[in-house]
Amino acid sequence: MSLQETSLPAPGRDLRLPFGLALAALAASAPLLLGSYALHAVIISLIFLLPAHGLNLLVGYTGLLSLAQAAFFGVGAYVSALMAVHWGTPFYLNLPAAGLVAGALALPLAIPALRLRATSFVMCTLGFVIIGQAIAKNWISVTRGDMGLSAIPKPHFAIGPASFTVNGTTEFYYLALAVAALATAIVWMIVTSPAGRNMVAIRENETLAESVGIPTWHYKLLVFMVSAAFAGVGGSVYAHYLTVVSPLTFQMSYSTLMLIIVLGGGPGTISGVILGSLLFVGLSEALRIAPELRMIAYGFCLLALVFWFPKGFTPLIERFWTAIGGRS
Amino acid sequence: MANSLRRQFVLALAAATPFMAGFGSTGPVLAQDGAIRLGIVAPMSGPNARYGAFSLRGAQLAAKEINDAGGIDGRKIQVFSADSQGTPVEGVSATRRLISQDKVDFLIGDVSSSVTLAMQPVVEDAGILLINAASSNPKITYAAGVGGFKWSFRNYPTDENRALVVAQYAAEKRGFTKFAVLSVDSDYGRSAIEFTKKYLPRFKGQILTEDYYKEGEVDFRSVLAKIRDSGAQAIIMYGLADTTPIVARQMIEVGLAGKIPLIGNGEFNTEKTIKSAPKAMEGAVEAAAWLPAYDSDKSKAFVAKFTTEYREAPNNHAYVHWETVRLLGKAVEAAKSIDRAKVRDALKSIKYDSAVGEVTFDDHNQAKLPMILLQIEDGKPAIKGAFYADIDYPR
Amino acid sequence: MLFQLSEQIVNGLVTGSVYAIVAVGMTMIFGVLRAINFAHGEYYMLGTFGAWVAIEYFDLPYPLSVAIGVIATALIAMVVGQLVMRRMVGMPAEAGVLATLGLALILQNTVILVFGGGYKFFNGGYIEPVTVFGISLAEQRLLIIVICALVFVGLELMVTHSRIGKAMRAVSQNIECCAVVGIEVRKVVVATFVLGAALAALSGVLTAPVNVSVYGGMGELITFKTLPIIIMGGLGNVRGTFFAAMILGIAESLVATYVGLQFRDTVGFATLMLVLMWRPHGLFSAQARY
Repeated sequence: MSLQETSLPAPGRDLRLPFGLALAALAASAPLLLGSYALHAVIISLIFLLPAHGLNLLVGYTGLLSLAQAAFFGVGAYVSALMAVHWGTPFYLNLPAAGLVAGALALPLAIPALRLRATSFVMCTLGFVIIGQAIAKNWISVTRGDMGLSAIPKPHFAIGPASFTVNGTTEFYYLALAVAALATAIVWMIVTSPAGRNMVAIRENETLAESVGIPTWHYKLLVFMVSAAFAGVGGSVYAHYLTVVSPLTFQMSYSTLMLIIVLGGGPGTISGVILGSLLFVGLSEALRIAPELRMIAYGFCLLALVFWFPKGFTPLIERFWTAIGGRS
Repeated sequence: MANSLRRQFVLALAAATPFMAGFGSTGPVLAQDGAIRLGIVAPMSGPNARYGAFSLRGAQLAAKEINDAGGIDGRKIQVFSADSQGTPVEGVSATRRLISQDKVDFLIGDVSSSVTLAMQPVVEDAGILLINAASSNPKITYAAGVGGFKWSFRNYPTDENRALVVAQYAAEKRGFTKFAVLSVDSDYGRSAIEFTKKYLPRFKGQILTEDYYKEGEVDFRSVLAKIRDSGAQAIIMYGLADTTPIVARQMIEVGLAGKIPLIGNGEFNTEKTIKSAPKAMEGAVEAAAWLPAYDSDKSKAFVAKFTTEYREAPNNHAYVHWETVRLLGKAVEAAKSIDRAKVRDALKSIKYDSAVGEVTFDDHNQAKLPMILLQIEDGKPAIKGAFYADIDYPR
Repeated sequence: MLFQLSEQIVNGLVTGSVYAIVAVGMTMIFGVLRAINFAHGEYYMLGTFGAWVAIEYFDLPYPLSVAIGVIATALIAMVVGQLVMRRMVGMPAEAGVLATLGLALILQNTVILVFGGGYKFFNGGYIEPVTVFGISLAEQRLLIIVICALVFVGLELMVTHSRIGKAMRAVSQNIECCAVVGIEVRKVVVATFVLGAALAALSGVLTAPVNVSVYGGMGELITFKTLPIIIMGGLGNVRGTFFAAMILGIAESLVATYVGLQFRDTVGFATLMLVLMWRPHGLFSAQARY
């Protein structure tokens, strides 16, 4: 026993940096390693990573279970598509605009919703998705209803004389990767800031948090808006990648996919959500090898997740970080 | 604790294995020499699964017939399929999978217009020939051929064509001027009504009430009672095949049957639909790309063959996919090659003899096809003619 | 005008009755389990399929097919209850969401796998129209209203007089205390779950003749209709659920007539959100369970 203890790696050997570099190298070289279809699946998971990051702030850090992400995802997609199609604005303008509109729209919705408790709050957030879809279907003069908006231009960048259009799968992959990396950095900054610690305090015990002077109401409002903004940005990337948006962008199955990513990956961890988005979007694509059994198998995976991994992959991820020398 | 964690690791690996398998292997797809690799994108699950099943069966039957007859210049057709679930995201995923995993050269798909619209830029980038066989939204070929997309074709009549034919027949032959709208809430139902509105003033027709139902809606009593009290002479319905019997039965319930007919499209003419509510379906008018009762030798042979093969009568989607695979076969034969660009050029100038007449493509890669108009008389579909209409492309 | 209004209210009562029978099971399950059951509509679908199989494959008369649909669903629910629902006692809300969504996918797609995704034609029931106070409607619709009333009277008697009914009430009030005084919580949970699923199935087979079509995806729609009802009715409150279902049925009917059919499916959630703004705990108190 004591022999083994001496053979443990020295505490100073922190493998997080080399591991992070290896991961970055892997992400950068993914187009060389993967076929275009697999790369497409990775792009889809990067797109869904954005709303999942937002949802993680709500569910994982602040303890609010929400199904509204698909509503803000849809708002972002439509804002981007409408701006691009009607005004011809470039992608780098549509992206922040989608985030801002979704975030701003979240405020009037959050004020009544956040007064509700548990189940009523969940249902109210689900209601946003249902009503969002009805608006997208019936406000035909703007959204073109079920015909949807098509021919959304590919992202185009023009800086001075140099211009560049993001055309192929590989190029779009790097764009999505850049947006996802930026979003991940922002989430990291939020959760490691004092605000992040206050959010966790609200999750653990809201009354106690209130009594030590954390303005819990304002925090919850703000986190809800930030999470909606993330979803809006995701919707924008989605619209420019698929080049069509239809009212089906507002659907509960997107909300639940985002929830599965967060809960399955590991609520309250950033790496868990990244792993979750790759794993669950990948799972859905991989199951295409058995089309008839695809959705049944997905259902069994969900049950397995609930009963065998009640905390998602968090314990595995923590163990992994500990093993390579990080803090647990 | 350590033990349970190890178990979790094993489970995680087990969960990740299909992920690897799905992407890593190219699957059991070993190319036969010079085979024609054809992908079918269709909704195999979700609310439109029924259309997907018919589409795939139609395509497979055509491939089987061609292969049994020795193929095209000795080349066999290999059919691959992928599920679009009727949604754009899944449709694009399915298309990409067919292109890069199954290495198809030709694609037929999808049924839903919004999915087809999303597939168009994907096939354009990949240089894969897409022949749509069942989406009716006019935008698809507005943007094809001289309109932009060089690799998209459509072998199916558009909503515009259909709306014009129905409005004209209802006004001129039946003398209707007051209409109620009850269509499905989808791009198909909505855009058919949009074009109906464009043409109705020409025939002095007006719309009194306008309602759209969601896929899966089962309760039409309220809206049918409203239509009954509105004074409409006919219900314009561009609907789903599966909903027609429900509407027809509830028309009997609220006392509409035999007074106000359905006109439009939604498999009014199948035996199953008519049997569900004969009184309500009598006098119904439908414009369809094809129907099982169509009177031509090729069409009848197809119905017989499909019915013996699958023990079920084919529907419109089965027919159009069957016909489109054969059309592709002819194009390959004319090109004397499976080179995609050559086949595309052959398709542009093809004169194909289909079960409903000769098919040619215009400069928007849109097939010129007739709409077949029928009326239910004495519980049987009676064909009133086949109409061609020229498409007015937006400039 | 007045006639049209009264006809639409009758239509609303029929729809409301269908929703009420499904929703009451869902709300009772919520009472004992504190979990939203996203798979609840699937038992409605299973019941309908059971009856359809009995008629189509075995040529049985409609009343017998009703019994078969309900019993078959209860048996499936018993298996699901033992394997899944029982273990969910005391789990957090999000676990319940994921598990029931998983169940919904499994049940729905298994049925599609076995019977195909297409619509089936339901051939049975009493669809001849009769005229009541000048309103023409199928006999089956009258039957639905009558059975809905019977179900609610029966449930009321059961929860106030029978042993298992009292145990259900107790569990919904306080799980820990029940365990202390010797009530087998898990058994009560499974019993409630089977009862709820059987009620959903009953609603399905009663509606099938007038809805004509039977298909694998039909349960999802019902789940979405019942979710706002159980919240408005005060989660776990049986009488509240009854009134909320009737309110929603009538509201849907009026919206379909005077606003447009395309807004019908939005009515439930829109009403719910308005109600919650005004009364954050629903129209009926969740305290006065059963």
